Amino acid sequence: MRSPFSGGTDGGTDMRTERRREARVGLAFIAVPMALFLVFQIFAIGYAFYISFFDWGIRGAREFLGFENYAELMSDGVFIGKAIPNTLVYTAVVVPAQMALGLSLAVIVNQKIRGQAFFRTAFYFPAVASSAAVVVLFTFLTQPQGLINTVLGFVGIETARNWTNDPATALPSIMVLVIWTTSGTMMLFYLSALQSISREVYEAAAIDGANWWSAFWKITFPLLKPAHYFVAVISVIGALQMFDQSFIAGGADGAPANSLTTMVLYLFRATGKTFEFGYAAAIGVVLLIFIMTLTLIQRRLFGQAPAM
Amino acid sequence: MTAITDAATAPQVVAPREGRLRRVVAYVLLTLWALLMFVPFAWTFLTSLKDRPEALDMVLPGSPDLEAYQRAWSSIDPGLPQMFANSLGLAVAVTASNVLLGSLAGYAFARLRFPGREALFIIVLATLMIPDQLRVVPVYQIMNFLNFTGRDPSNYLSVFLVLAISATSIFLLRQYFLTIPVDLEEAARIDGAGYFQTFWQVILPLASPALAAVAILQFQGTWNGLFWPALFFGPVREHWTLPFGISQYQGAFQTDWPPLMAIVVVATLPILLLYIFFQRYFVEGIAASGVKG
Repeated sequence: MRSPFSGGTDGGTDMRTERRREARVGLAFIAVPMALFLVFQIFAIGYAFYISFFDWGIRGAREFLGFENYAELMSDGVFIGKAIPNTLVYTAVVVPAQMALGLSLAVIVNQKIRGQAFFRTAFYFPAVASSAAVVVLFTFLTQPQGLINTVLGFVGIETARNWTNDPATALPSIMVLVIWTTSGTMMLFYLSALQSISREVYEAAAIDGANWWSAFWKITFPLLKPAHYFVAVISVIGALQMFDQSFIAGGADGAPANSLTTMVLYLFRATGKTFEFGYAAAIGVVLLIFIMTLTLIQRRLFGQAPAM
Repeated sequence: MTAITDAATAPQVVAPREGRLRRVVAYVLLTLWALLMFVPFAWTFLTSLKDRPEALDMVLPGSPDLEAYQRAWSSIDPGLPQMFANSLGLAVAVTASNVLLGSLAGYAFARLRFPGREALFIIVLATLMIPDQLRVVPVYQIMNFLNFTGRDPSNYLSVFLVLAISATSIFLLRQYFLTIPVDLEEAARIDGAGYFQTFWQVILPLASPALAAVAILQFQGTWNGLFWPALFFGPVREHWTLPFGISQYQGAFQTDWPPLMAIVVVATLPILLLYIFFQRYFVEGIAASGVKG
């Protein structure tokens, strides 16, 4: 990174004035964005930790509690029994599924085929629509007499289940929905990684007589390791922060019967509905710990820094 | 991540015959999957043209009309025009702010030397790893303190200020500015242009692909965003955005699907059009925004 104006041959004083001017301009350029950043990011993050140690209501601190909010969280039946398991199950199912699907789509779309651009466009489309629109249309399709049950009826599965409103199937249905919408995003990530793999690698494999299937598993898949790492990390982080789908399908209560309550939904409920700010901040800190732990585990597993 | 090219670059490592069979299988799978992407949206659109009694029937609209749109327009409060205006206003403001502030900061981090530059940039990047939700309570407190959580229009500022600048925008633009040859700036400077003039007249026009990617990314994210509007606009009906309105009306409409589907169509259509016309920037934006997670 070289500065454009460092190579001058002017005298020392001119250089110093110029340097000072450049620094002043630089600081002026970042002043407004960094001010917003300092208040709503840096200060807010620090403040969150602070608040989490208090009984904190809408009017501010009421009482210093130390780690009591955290202790209470650990014995909170909804948090331990619903929010955490729901979030982890969701992550454990959705992440591998969307990665596998995204990779498969990318490999197929990357073939020499007509209409490649069309298919890519079609596959990514559900990911650009808003989660609110997608969840509501999904709720509509999964009504007892909706399109999904009708199609299931055609293949011999008669059911009148209201998929997103049944405690047994609400979360699994939402997982299917998210896998459907995000597979296109994962496809794009894998596609750009696939297209950076050099041709010669395959030509060498062809000379060795490798067929397509074994070439994929022995060459392509291992070469995609940086992409696997990148996609896994962002998918896990995204999945742990699941909120939209639960909120739209089940409201702030994660209905039915907390079957859609995730960690972030529970945090939202404590902030916007019951105004237990200290408690909500503690949930945020626990979420951060989960995210950092899982990211570190993945770094260990994949052993490498991301490819970005 | 490198940009995704249009041309098929897959190397062919198999005999032509096997290749043909594989292609047929690929076409079948691709078409089926494309239908799976397309049918739900098409069905939603058809439902928005139906009358209430036939909404759940597996039939095409008996007498397709825009009655459901009219009902979503005028018989609910806030109606479709109000929610549309709220979504559009917020998305435009957030997009403009991110493009402007993001390019100022991105340029300074890429090209101008000032004390603390590296440290500040690392801090900006580090915030990408912090979940947004950790900031919910403090941000709510700050907005409360600023009196932006009331029922008056200053309530709009709460969501705007949280989203006004994102680390992703700064990062994406800085990376792009770094790829612009330094010679161009030197030439402008020799011609007597000041720092700001060089930035505004020489660098920004050259960075238009990155500016477009940031704009699309922010517009789409804000237009679709649910979390912050739900937190701050929830108690103020007249400030509801389309996504939050959808989440609230879902319960209210219970079995009256056509107007709800009409709102869904209106919420989706602008993004669909943007996507069709500016697909390239969506792809670039998503590759870059992946950093945010």
